[in-house]
Amino acid sequence: MIELIATAESLGQAEKLLENVDTLYIGEDEFGLRLPASFSRAEQKEMIRLAHDAGRKVTVAVNALFHNDRIQAVLPYLEFLAEAGADAVTVGDPGVIHLMAQHGLQLPYLYDAQTMVTSANQVNFWAKRGAVGAVLARELTKEELLQISRQAIVPVEVLVYGATCIHQSKRPLVQNYFNYVGEAAAGQERTLFLSEPKKEDTHYSIYEDRNGTHIFATNDVSLAGQLDVLHEGGLLRWKLDGLFTKGDTFVRIAKQFNEARKLLEADLWTMVSAGWLQQEIQQHHPVGRSLDEGFFVKNPEDIA
Amino acid sequence: MTTLTKRVITKKPEVLAPAGTLEKLKTAIRYGADAVFIGGNAYGLRSRAGNFTYEEMAEGVAFAREYNAKVYVAANMVAHEGDTEGAGDFFRTMRDIGIDAVIVSDPALIEICAMEAEGLPIHLSTQASATNYETLNFWKSEGLERVVLAREVSMEEIKEIRQKTDVEIEAFIHGAMCISYSGRCTLSNHMADRDANRGGCTQSCRWKYGLFELDEAAERTSLLGGGESGDMEEAFSMSAVDMAMIRYIPELVENGVDSLKIEGRMKSIHYVSTVANVYRQAIDAYCADPDNYVFNQEWEDELWKVAQRELSSGFYYGIPSEDEQLFGKPRKIPAYSFIGQVLAYDDETKIATIQQRNVFGQGDAIEFYGPGFTHFEQTIEEMWNEDDEPIDRAPNAMMIVKMRVLQPVRPYDMMRKQR
Repeated sequence: MIELIATAESLGQAEKLLENVDTLYIGEDEFGLRLPASFSRAEQKEMIRLAHDAGRKVTVAVNALFHNDRIQAVLPYLEFLAEAGADAVTVGDPGVIHLMAQHGLQLPYLYDAQTMVTSANQVNFWAKRGAVGAVLARELTKEELLQISRQAIVPVEVLVYGATCIHQSKRPLVQNYFNYVGEAAAGQERTLFLSEPKKEDTHYSIYEDRNGTHIFATNDVSLAGQLDVLHEGGLLRWKLDGLFTKGDTFVRIAKQFNEARKLLEADLWTMVSAGWLQQEIQQHHPVGRSLDEGFFVKNPEDIA
Repeated sequence: MTTLTKRVITKKPEVLAPAGTLEKLKTAIRYGADAVFIGGNAYGLRSRAGNFTYEEMAEGVAFAREYNAKVYVAANMVAHEGDTEGAGDFFRTMRDIGIDAVIVSDPALIEICAMEAEGLPIHLSTQASATNYETLNFWKSEGLERVVLAREVSMEEIKEIRQKTDVEIEAFIHGAMCISYSGRCTLSNHMADRDANRGGCTQSCRWKYGLFELDEAAERTSLLGGGESGDMEEAFSMSAVDMAMIRYIPELVENGVDSLKIEGRMKSIHYVSTVANVYRQAIDAYCADPDNYVFNQEWEDELWKVAQRELSSGFYYGIPSEDEQLFGKPRKIPAYSFIGQVLAYDDETKIATIQQRNVFGQGDAIEFYGPGFTHFEQTIEEMWNEDDEPIDRAPNAMMIVKMRVLQPVRPYDMMRKQR
């Protein structure tokens, strides 16, 4: 069974998403990385209730890198999430795993150290320490993903739609730049881009929040044309990330992936459906942002 | 205030220096490093840092033993499928050669090392970005001996981490810094098809970028502003100055940091000798008499002689601002060239035999320095070549030169001049 996992930016959007996806991925900036919205505790509770009423699940992002202040604050948060009935959390900091074990917290976790999760052996290391799944790095090729899928002892999650973070700094890089040139900073708006030297067409999203500065790949990922490969390869947890794709547009995209999933599971998926899905996604993708298949289509040998 | 007994710190932190080659390893140790970290041919992050063969490692370990120093091997890559093949053999070889510890970040490699090379201590690499005490407690419970802290950890946080853990702590005190949380950057992967976490970092963070906003019609508006003079457009950059914690040795010692790490396996013997020498002095001075310790400005001046960029205290005392980033024209740092190494000295004739490392000649103002922070300056007067023929310049790499020196020198003392 394919599991569709989608970020949610509001209760309203979540409600619509739940018609199409199995799991909502939400959280708050204090503990989770790069979320479309940071929810209050009351909202998180409500979101979990909403999902459970619809027979769906909620995974909460607890995948930030924690300094002392927040490793102290995370335990009460995890207790809150367990109490509220969150189905799972993502975790990237071993300190959190240690805390959960020490306090006997019954909260399933998925290992999610972002760029670092690159092999089945690594996934299995965390599985042996209680992880019920893992979120794979985006810098993995098809061959690598398929091999991980074969060898990992817990299910792994793959990004099928959305932006890829390629740099997280604790430095306020945007603020520092604007301070230097003596202009007012654009703050936390997520509309800024970098372009590479001599490649003016590139457009790397960049923004700051309490976790630091985040930079994203110039192209967002869409594996719309590769879903059959994922399906056959046993890569059945598909993440849709709506960080830069807002509101109903993101709901529409989720709906298309849901249609695709049904076709695949009914063995009705064809080249034509793949082409149709790619076109649909392309059409709804935000203006000014571009899509490609990322590292999925790269040759592992070409990456030095 | 008078005290009856002078306070002395007997548990000194280790000075840990980078060693890209066997020559650098020996230099670092002669100049006061208690330990060095080197790279093997596999599993490391510095594919171009001049890694060691097993034979060189064995020689390095034997040399280190004579000085009671330690040798660590960095095996800090984040492995992909297939990369860990042979890792068990590699770690066993490290243990059998007598390597004191391996520095690892990938849990897959940690597991292989722990299972297949029992007895070989493991240090968690900074690449794993350990930023809180529970993370250290986790790795302690996994049997690791030491954790290298993320460079983003502040002095206050170190103090608390020390209080709440009993695993060894290693912290960077000198050198260049990743702009991102280490390991959490794949700019090179995406911009240059080179894997930053497998030795391919292209330092894309130091490039010059455009910065713009997109409106709803995808029209771009550049947000680049003027530079210092106001007329030139200033590119967006993440590049930052380097770190030097020489002024803050007392706090690092008092907060119980076990190992003070110097960055730079790619750097020269000039760099490693100078930096190790300085920190050795400061730590010895502080630990010998902490209550009457005085910071010596000469230490910092010395560090500037091998600095590539300006120096700062990183994240120890706050989040780096625009002042710690490299905008505008690079500010001038007085640059010194490493020009020779002493091979021998004749006390009767006061003549030193020197191996040339860069061009010098009569009339040049030069400086000699050696282990133990010895220093003196002089002008080159008479010089002879290997056959005792008078010369006025030493133009050839590695040529042997003899010259009269004003003070005694020892083999392995170094000679530099301002460029």
